[in-house]
Amino acid sequence: MEELKVSGGSKQFIVIKLGDEQYGIDIKYIENIVRMQHITRVPKVDSYLKGVINLRGEVIPVMSIRIKMGLQPDTETKSSRIIILKLEMNGLIGIIVDEVKEVVTLESDQIEKIAYDSKEEKDSFLYGVGKCAGGLISLLDLNSVVLENI
Amino acid sequence: MDVSQYLEIFLDETDEHLQNLNTQILMLEQEPDNMDTINEIFRAAHSLKGMAGTMGYKRMQTLTHDMENVFSEVRNGNIKVKAEMIDVLFQCLDALEEYNTNIRESADEGTNDNEPLIKQLNEIMNEGKGGAESSSSEEAPAASQAASATGGKKWLEIKLGDSERAVLKEAAKQGQNVYGLTVSIQETCILKAARAFLVFKAIEEDGEIIVSDPPAQEIEDEKFGLDFSLVVVTGSSLDKVIAAAKNVSEIQDVLGDVFDPDQEVSAEEVQETKEKQEEAAEHAAAPAETVPAPAVPAKSNKKAEEKKPAASKPVVNRTVRVDIEKLDTLMNLVSELIIAKNSLVSASTVSGTSSTAVNEQIEYLESVTTSLHESVMKVRMVPIESTVSKFPRMVRDLQKKLGKKMELYMSGEETELDRTVVDEIGDPLMHLLRNSADHGLESAEVRRERGKPEVGSIFLDAYQDGNNVVIEVRDDGNGIDTQAVRNKAIERGVITPEQAENMSEKDSIELLFNAGFSTAKVVSDVSGRGVGLDVVKSKIEALSGEVEVKSKLGEGSSWIIRLPLTLAIIQALMVDIGNEKYAISLGAIQTIEDIPPQDVKLVQAKEVIQLRDLVIPLIRLNEILDIESKKDPEENMVVVIVKKGDKLAGLVVDELIGQQEIVIKPLGKYVSKCKIISGATVLGDGEVALILDANTLI
Repeated sequence: MEELKVSGGSKQFIVIKLGDEQYGIDIKYIENIVRMQHITRVPKVDSYLKGVINLRGEVIPVMSIRIKMGLQPDTETKSSRIIILKLEMNGLIGIIVDEVKEVVTLESDQIEKIAYDSKEEKDSFLYGVGKCAGGLISLLDLNSVVLENI
Repeated sequence: MDVSQYLEIFLDETDEHLQNLNTQILMLEQEPDNMDTINEIFRAAHSLKGMAGTMGYKRMQTLTHDMENVFSEVRNGNIKVKAEMIDVLFQCLDALEEYNTNIRESADEGTNDNEPLIKQLNEIMNEGKGGAESSSSEEAPAASQAASATGGKKWLEIKLGDSERAVLKEAAKQGQNVYGLTVSIQETCILKAARAFLVFKAIEEDGEIIVSDPPAQEIEDEKFGLDFSLVVVTGSSLDKVIAAAKNVSEIQDVLGDVFDPDQEVSAEEVQETKEKQEEAAEHAAAPAETVPAPAVPAKSNKKAEEKKPAASKPVVNRTVRVDIEKLDTLMNLVSELIIAKNSLVSASTVSGTSSTAVNEQIEYLESVTTSLHESVMKVRMVPIESTVSKFPRMVRDLQKKLGKKMELYMSGEETELDRTVVDEIGDPLMHLLRNSADHGLESAEVRRERGKPEVGSIFLDAYQDGNNVVIEVRDDGNGIDTQAVRNKAIERGVITPEQAENMSEKDSIELLFNAGFSTAKVVSDVSGRGVGLDVVKSKIEALSGEVEVKSKLGEGSSWIIRLPLTLAIIQALMVDIGNEKYAISLGAIQTIEDIPPQDVKLVQAKEVIQLRDLVIPLIRLNEILDIESKKDPEENMVVVIVKKGDKLAGLVVDELIGQQEIVIKPLGKYVSKCKIISGATVLGDGEVALILDANTLI
């Protein structure tokens, strides 16, 4: 998979909320954002895989990044959304988020890379932190969030 | 002329011809005297040569040309078919296949001249000629005489009917000139019929064509070699007629002379003797049969073509070649249509708008979509023949390579499967056959000791079994030595010695499918490089199929491949378990039973039921799927009896919902860990239901 480039130019991120924390997802991987809907459970798979949904006739797996990142399990609210990601070679996958807030544009100097020697589990899903008017945004490294464990 | 647009057709047809040659040469090896086979081979080689020439592939043309020469000698009885010759011919076919592959990849035939092969072919030719000369030394001079008698003036061979002769005589009386003409066309010409037509037209401007050989209709259909002969009645001079014909482009040469209708009779007299000697003449002329040999040798080609098209293609097949991608699109659209139809059905029941009229129309729509689906399926089905027909040749080669005697028996080549499956199934089958030949069959000595026939047998049987197609590869060899398998597995660290002790025969055989497992004591280039059976298994599973092995030590083993007839749309039984809906393929279901809870017995701590003298293990789906059953345990159980091969199992479900046509959607990589689910489908209300794979449950 293509390296996520940090340096050079500006990038757009969708800001989502998981609990109180804000996370950013690179907009180029986002295929669609849909409302919560009935998820068909698939037995005998890892607990973070919540099941599959029907998106315009296609069957798409949905995972909980809360469980994957070791946070409290999701509680479904009116603002819960499923973000459909498209990662090369691996097809579509949905992730459940508490809320979708806004789109921000970050210049490369607004992004601070996280040192890789961080041993903390949660941090390994991030590749950087963005600074903007709305505060700090943890930028998700989709490679490790989604592709791990396949 | 630009021929690139014909490239695809050329490649397809070359494949067909090569396959045909492979099969026919194999037959020839069995029955060296079968004239039909020899003719068929000759014809295929000839067509190949012509096609290669047309497309400008000179090397391919040269090689096929030399092959054709050999066949023509065989046909004339000058060469006897020998084992070495068959070998050389097979090598030639391999070389041709290589050309074909090169052309497919780069539109260029490559630079391999295959000179050694051509040399070998020529040696075979010379050998044959030497033999023929000594045995028929008298014939040879007579033959050359005959050849010089006609010497390209082939119009002399035209046989006239009485009416035609009368016309000619009448014309001669009226002072008209009667000429015989033989027009030869350049070998590189693509539209021979068009050129011939122009020649006809040019001549008819000044005269009348009375007879042509071959007849006009055949010339129009391009059923002639590189030349044709005419008898013309005209007022103008011979030179003028010849010049008119020569004016047409791509005409190599035109020979002509005054035609005497009476002389034709005398020509007929020699006809008989000539015909006898003609074959000899042909071979006398064979060395000269290089590019610009228009007359005698070309005639043999023409004859072959003339005689046979009627036999090989009596009816024109009304078919079209369609790109498989277009069919895929069509199939997807049909899937969408079926989903839409299902939505309509559930919408009409939910919204309460259902009236008799609506229901009737929905039922009609249902029957239309079902037949539409079936038709599309049928279009995509092709016989497995195209894949398996290369195996006899492969087994023959293996026989030589391994020094074992074996015979391949095939049946059910006409069994049809989805095109994509047929394309994919070739490699796994080839691997299993090689496996049988290499590991399965014993050497001739061992077989003799064991009281088996020296020649080992490998069987490949294909047949349809319900919604599945079964392909079975069987051999009467040694079978699988499960002890050896276990020992090897311990050695490889796949299992521990303790595990090995408790292993059943079946589990031991399953070890063979482990990645990196090879029991061959010696690594040969035929099979046993450590990659193999695991690849076979994963490939077949990727096609939603499965492999089963049955083996008896000392008696042989059989590998049974079971493939679903269709990949995309199936009839399924929808069931309720807890609050979830699941689909079970109707093809796997044997019966549905209503079983009182007290009928469940325990055997080896496992639940079973007894049904018509059969003991069937029970599988409680709610336990396997981690769902809480919402059914009262005192109530009668709904048990779906499913079948895999000859094994049965009873699946306990809560409720039956009904039968439905479902479109299978893949679950994707992320959830592939779940083996008991083979896919998902979108129901009419937009919900996703999972499809249970009965095979993995058993």
